[in-house]
Amino acid sequence: MYIPSHDDIKKFLAKVEGQFALEKKSLIPILHAVQHEFSFIPEYAMQEIGIMLGVSSAEVYEVATFYSFLEVEPKGKYHVALSIDMPSKMAGVDDVALRLEKELGIQMGETTYDRMFSLEWTGCVGISDMSPAMIINDKIFHLVTPDKASEIIKKLRAGEEVENELPQSYTNELTYDQVAPDSGLKNALEMSPQELRDVVKESGLRGHGGAGFPTGMKWDFCAAAEGDIKHVICNADEGEPGCFKDMLIFTRFADKVIEGMTIAGYAIGAQEGILYMRWEYAFLKEKLEALLEKKRASNMLGMNICGKQGVDFDIKLFFGAGAYVCGEETALIESIEGNRGEPRNKPPFPVTDGLYGEPTNVNNVETFAWVPCILSKGAEWYNSAGIGKSKGYKLFSVSGDCEQPGVFEFAWGMSLNDIVKITKAENPKAIQVGGYSGQLVPASQFDRVLSYEDLATGGSVIIYGQERNLYDIADNYLEFFIEESCGQCTPCRWGNQVLLNHVDKMRQGNVTDKETKDIKTLCETMVLTSKCGLGQTSPNVLKNLMNDFADQL
Amino acid sequence: MNGIKKMVTAVIDDTTVTAEEGTTILKAAQSVGIKIPTLCQHDDLKPKGLCRVCVVEIEGYNTLQTSCTLPLAEGMVINSNSHKVRKARRDLIDLELSSHTGTCYTCNRSRNCTLRELADECGVTEFRFGVKEEPEHEIEESGLFIVRDMNKCVQCRNCERACKELQAVGAYGMKDRSNQIKIAAFADKDLEDTVCINCGQCITHCPTGALSVKDETEQVWDLIEDPTKHVVIQTSPAPRTAIGECFGNEPGKEALTFQLPTALRRCGFDKVFDTTFTADLTIIEEATELLLRLKKVLVDKDETVALPQFTSCSPGWVKYLEHFKPEMIPNLSSAKSPGQMFGAVIKTYYAEKNNIDPKDIVSVALMPCTAKKFECNRPEMDDSGFKDVDYMLSTEEIAAMIKEAGMDLRKVPTSEYDNPFGVSTGSGVIFGATGGVMEAALRTAIEVITGIKVEDLFDHANIIPVRGFEGSRVAEIKIEQVGAVPDILKGHFEDWEWLKGVTLKVGVAHGTANAEKVLADIEAGGPFSECHFIEFMGCPGGCIAGGGMPRPVNLDIRKARASLLYNEDMIYETRKSHENPDVAHIYTEFLTDGPCGHKAHKLLHTSYTKRGLIVD
Repeated sequence: MYIPSHDDIKKFLAKVEGQFALEKKSLIPILHAVQHEFSFIPEYAMQEIGIMLGVSSAEVYEVATFYSFLEVEPKGKYHVALSIDMPSKMAGVDDVALRLEKELGIQMGETTYDRMFSLEWTGCVGISDMSPAMIINDKIFHLVTPDKASEIIKKLRAGEEVENELPQSYTNELTYDQVAPDSGLKNALEMSPQELRDVVKESGLRGHGGAGFPTGMKWDFCAAAEGDIKHVICNADEGEPGCFKDMLIFTRFADKVIEGMTIAGYAIGAQEGILYMRWEYAFLKEKLEALLEKKRASNMLGMNICGKQGVDFDIKLFFGAGAYVCGEETALIESIEGNRGEPRNKPPFPVTDGLYGEPTNVNNVETFAWVPCILSKGAEWYNSAGIGKSKGYKLFSVSGDCEQPGVFEFAWGMSLNDIVKITKAENPKAIQVGGYSGQLVPASQFDRVLSYEDLATGGSVIIYGQERNLYDIADNYLEFFIEESCGQCTPCRWGNQVLLNHVDKMRQGNVTDKETKDIKTLCETMVLTSKCGLGQTSPNVLKNLMNDFADQL
Repeated sequence: MNGIKKMVTAVIDDTTVTAEEGTTILKAAQSVGIKIPTLCQHDDLKPKGLCRVCVVEIEGYNTLQTSCTLPLAEGMVINSNSHKVRKARRDLIDLELSSHTGTCYTCNRSRNCTLRELADECGVTEFRFGVKEEPEHEIEESGLFIVRDMNKCVQCRNCERACKELQAVGAYGMKDRSNQIKIAAFADKDLEDTVCINCGQCITHCPTGALSVKDETEQVWDLIEDPTKHVVIQTSPAPRTAIGECFGNEPGKEALTFQLPTALRRCGFDKVFDTTFTADLTIIEEATELLLRLKKVLVDKDETVALPQFTSCSPGWVKYLEHFKPEMIPNLSSAKSPGQMFGAVIKTYYAEKNNIDPKDIVSVALMPCTAKKFECNRPEMDDSGFKDVDYMLSTEEIAAMIKEAGMDLRKVPTSEYDNPFGVSTGSGVIFGATGGVMEAALRTAIEVITGIKVEDLFDHANIIPVRGFEGSRVAEIKIEQVGAVPDILKGHFEDWEWLKGVTLKVGVAHGTANAEKVLADIEAGGPFSECHFIEFMGCPGGCIAGGGMPRPVNLDIRKARASLLYNEDMIYETRKSHENPDVAHIYTEFLTDGPCGHKAHKLLHTSYTKRGLIVD
């Protein structure tokens, strides 16, 4: 077993040092580089990195142990991670796990003696419509069967290359296909930043990450915030189980995101953009780098964009390292700064006190992708679609028990009955809208509609058939939240475990009235006191079970 | 608008409150006498809003808000104890208790645990969310100064934040996340195996019994019981200001200086000495060393001599320098700390004088400091031929011994300290507060060099410019005239003419985060680089808030304790180190080749280790 010496580590760091700014913000990129080289992050490396960046080794260690794709213990050359989300579970990932355990002679969470393979579970990989999903280092695999998994392992053992499998989701007709590249940006640059923001406001565009904050208003706040340096961040930490529409956007319409960010930069007066990608999407790195290069070459990025004097904007890629909570915008900002992805107290909000304390506009991938469409087709085109205050169009990623999963573009306002019909689902028992943090809706309520006012969602829709066990679902969700909580605040750190224990008690049928009352109060406490959306929404599934499925338990 | 802060007005619990813009709801509530319970909040540290216990209900907000982080805003209507708030608060305490193991009656914080108080205040009467029967974490107790029981940790991160914000050490971080999260030293090693300066600020900022000072009282009791042993104890100045807190006194109420000798004798110690004696000795040695350095620089034009000279009495500070700026070790005075000097003197001078075999002497010290437990175990601290100080006990440990012996220290009759070190000076006493060492040094330096009485320059010899609680400060005194060299220093200096016209510049810094800034300033050629002498104390406020002092601690408590020292300073007949007759005796009787002479060097001075930041 090769464990690098202190000297090996010093040599490696001396070699790569020049690629990084020697500041805390380089911590996660450096840790990725070290792990890439040594398959894990040795103790000497953490200490040397601490000295390099002027932070204590304990600080390096706390970051390295926060993110699930960073390892401080020796691991296998190949980190084999299986997606444990419900769509993968429903598609038989447990059988794949059993086969891999047998094939490799280790249990989940272990590393083979020769340090070739480590086997572990991971959250949603972002291809729920092609479940089960597997990720090995920075390559992803879909529709993984036990045989397919065995074959991949055999190839790796034999030293053969395995190809990343590009996801190919089914889609209906998409607006993105119809909007000419750069047309939105060119129109935007014809306007003043204020006019541009007014168009976005008029369109009714709201955040597509799930929270639904009016985009134009956010841009106004950020534009008005004091500060010479402002940032535009694209939140591509698509971690909500069952959500894979950002994955589709990046594989097919990444230029729309870049264009949207550039427009946002102009609208708020920012020169710097950061595209924060979850580590699961690392296979897109080269493609995105090439795209950014192309945009620079065609003057769609860089100085004096499209020849317009003083419009400067460029984008850097930043890769996370495995943390669902980094989808929360302040946790994401912490992560970029080189810290544990722990959400901040709000207020202050990022629009005034964001990255490095500077005004920062964070939007979701899809929000940015709609922006050039709106600028190209007009605010009215967008706001004339939808329902109520939910204007325009939205991508929905649908997976689970249905014949036609995939990514669908609908105007807001589709009912769940519509979804059942379109995806050819057969008499589902329940539909999860908005990912694990959303709502589990019983069949009796399928007339409810997808909208910010009724069933809000960042795009995840998971369909559960009649044979699915509600307790299994609740267990899976709560185990996910227990794994993904950052752990800083009391309600979320301990509360999720208490909820999970309660599900077990419910399953066994021995819950007293007092316990039910206490748990309902606890759910309320978590909603009221958790620092961020994770702990505020993780009780949803239990609340749904108790309130909406009482007759089915 | 410069300097004029905007005021905001809001209503908390039907009470109108006006506060400066930016004031947190918590502080605003406190200002009108409304107490909002807190757990992770500490006045010394930046608010983090981790425990959520301080949540309040605000009209117009969907969720409850943490009052420790949210600033009061104009027109807010706040309820700090609505039904919603009370239910949530109790749930939060219940959740914290569901992961807490440990029994209150064996806990070192049974007297003043914040979690226990909260459980009481918030109406917790049962473990609604379960209780952990078996401890999950092994107790870390193999080190010299600290015991870490993570089973009692409430994840407030006060230890981590104190270490980083106050001390700039960063020995702690979090390990893992969610319910696996744990406060850990680097790589989850034992704290003392990592870059740690043993200052114990983590312990004094811990709200529960998770962190405590390593208890060595049992060993000391056993030795007291051993008839072949002569057990002596020295008591340093800071503990006397706070030991009363362990018996129920409010901070700052009284110093129990002269109750201690009685109580400690009743505990069975054979002799009780006052460390102020060696504080005075330290002044003589350190000041002589400084004058020697100055002469080399000013007269001999020797450029290899390191200036400014740094004080070396604070072992936390010393270890900080050894880890973080080993290249500046030459600036550190070679003088041992007063406690260690005393140890060396007891097992030599005192032993000789009283015909006691030093191997039979057990030398104990009452110290405000956890770093001393490390210091007395440094291999170089054996110049007497034996371990100079055998046990360094913290204020809480000594309080526990006194309690165990059935005494309430506050009610014990007073008595004097034992000879031959019975005379205390005011200078020796103020060593316990930030700026105190510098003030003591200046009192002596001014008189020895200029021949002018300090009182003629500073009212009542109180050198106010070096006092206070700002993180760092500088002061200067121009030497307008010089006097005669005292006999004791004639071996080193013929006259002071070379100091005439020199402006003596001194600096003070406390808390190693401030030390870090001062060191950076020196490197950058800032005002501190021009200093000749800088006092560094490892802990914020100095020894009066050391890691071995009673908990809790905050700025008000530090001020209250410091004021007791300065009050005590005023009661002494002799207030200057060089006027201490016992100090004069030791130089005539024992250290006959004078300050910084050969014998003094062997017994009273030491050397340091370059440690750096890498551990294996």
